[in-house]
Amino acid sequence: MRDGEREDLELHRRLEAGDRDAFDELYRRYGGIAYGLAYRLTGQQILAQDVVHDAYLALWRAPEAFDPARGTFRTFFLSLVHHRAVDVIRREERLRARSERAANLDPLVGEDPAEDVVDEAYLGVRSKEVREALATLSPEQRQVMELAYFGGRTQVRIAEEIGIPVGTVKTRTLAAMRKLRKLLEEPAE
Amino acid sequence: MTDHERIDELLAGYVLRSLEGEDAAEADGVLTDHLPRCPRCQGSLLELQEVASELALATPALDPPETLLPRLLRELEPKERRRPVAMLAVAASVVAVIGLSGTWLQGRFADESGSRREALANILDFAREHDAQMVPVGNVTEVSAPDVQEMYLYGESVRDPPDGSVYGVWLVVDGTPRLAGTFVPDGGWVYLRVTFESSYDALMITLEPEGSEPAEPGTVVWQAA
Repeated sequence: MRDGEREDLELHRRLEAGDRDAFDELYRRYGGIAYGLAYRLTGQQILAQDVVHDAYLALWRAPEAFDPARGTFRTFFLSLVHHRAVDVIRREERLRARSERAANLDPLVGEDPAEDVVDEAYLGVRSKEVREALATLSPEQRQVMELAYFGGRTQVRIAEEIGIPVGTVKTRTLAAMRKLRKLLEEPAE
Repeated sequence: MTDHERIDELLAGYVLRSLEGEDAAEADGVLTDHLPRCPRCQGSLLELQEVASELALATPALDPPETLLPRLLRELEPKERRRPVAMLAVAASVVAVIGLSGTWLQGRFADESGSRREALANILDFAREHDAQMVPVGNVTEVSAPDVQEMYLYGESVRDPPDGSVYGVWLVVDGTPRLAGTFVPDGGWVYLRVTFESSYDALMITLEPEGSEPAEPGTVVWQAA
């Protein structure tokens, strides 16, 4: 287990005891990633803010929803943020046009914009690894992953948008995730 | 294609939240029926969830608005006022809590297919962790385990109670029925988490007048010992 994960567990333990300082620290630790993710999916600051707000409030109200036996805190919390963001964009279909830009393939590979506030060293290293891993996917695999994860599209919709059978979307998605899993299974030190 | 290959495809779509229609229903079935019995697929789900969450790191972090943290800190309830039910983190149809005092509370939440999957995943986690039994009680299923002071009731096609009525959930403790809470299906969907402080001998689901807090059970529609 990496130091960052150990610290997360300790912060979560304190959160369960109602420690507001632990909440504050978890916000500083993951607020930027959560907001960046939510903004990328929703394409609107106000919606991204609502997503992050709701996710953190849910964490405060029910910290026991995280079970350390089922993965890292980071996995749990970023999944929570992602799910909420997807729910928002599905309710707000009118955001589609704006999220087209957000679903663009280019920003994933090699881009590290000035506003990047990843200040945790281990997260910074991991971010680079994830981007590099994504860059190794075939363009077809990366396209379905982009549309599903960052575009919030369903597999049926992806099939319609790029004109391939749904079965092919499923096959490409699984192949992409298996490849990413293999590339990312060695944790950053 | 093997069954497990097919299941992995469904799980990949599930963790990306990208399933709909028949695929979503099939994934629900896999999560409910297959996963509790298959360590291989339990492992696959965990791995895929981890990969999906790592993708968030590929997006540049952005500074949230400066007003967000102060707003959140203002809204944090003190610990003693926090609601005691973990399931409030996910949308669910009904949540009920009972203690020996007989007090209970109930909440209704948005009904969305994704939330249903999360609710089912919670039930599966509980079933897996405690090796729980699933017992049909009329149109709903009781998921409980010996010596665990928590159980779930869920159903996906529960008919509405007659107008002016709600369903009551009663736990019989030492021969005395105690009201755990009331519920109304949400589009046929029922999801209850019930916690209690002593084991119960039987479970009854009754019809109760809407808005009442009955001391005695009304008409029993389903029950299980």
